[in-house]
Amino acid sequence: MSMFGGGGFQAQQSVNPQNIAMAEQELDMVTDLFNRIVDSCYTKCISTEYQQNDLSQGESVCIDRCVAKFFDVNAKVGEKMQQMGGAQAPQ
Amino acid sequence: MDFQRYNQAEQAQIAQMIEHKQMKDFLRLYSNLVQRCFNDCVTDFTTKSVTGKEEACVNKCADKFLKHSERVGARFGELSQQMMPPGSQ
Repeated sequence: MSMFGGGGFQAQQSVNPQNIAMAEQELDMVTDLFNRIVDSCYTKCISTEYQQNDLSQGESVCIDRCVAKFFDVNAKVGEKMQQMGGAQAPQ
Repeated sequence: MDFQRYNQAEQAQIAQMIEHKQMKDFLRLYSNLVQRCFNDCVTDFTTKSVTGKEEACVNKCADKFLKHSERVGARFGELSQQMMPPGSQ
């Protein structure tokens, strides 16, 4: 005998599986990009001598530049791929 | 990442998915770290247990990797924010 009726507000909203799949793909893409940057920049910047627990000044600067460059390369390759796609489409 | 454009029910399901993936990511990080520090630090097989020197190396290796990924995360956040300022969608 509720004044508010049986159905809650949330029950009226339907889940579109396509939206969930889209969100999942976006999440996976970003996670994958991040993990690849961590791997690449570790290989390029961190000395495996392991002299200290902290990042050295040089390593820190290297990481900052490495991440920025990875983003740059990512964008440049993306542009290139888009051009390729655009050139192929009109035929 | 901005999931505001989805309705409440969808957002709830996405939140659940994120939680599930975080667990998976944590396990991945763990095994990755073990492998990395083992490869970089353990090279001497004249003893059966990890030597003091190796252990010190593993400690530094693990600390360094976690600090590294923290710093990458900070820069990653800043750069993605720059590329896609909030409210641009």
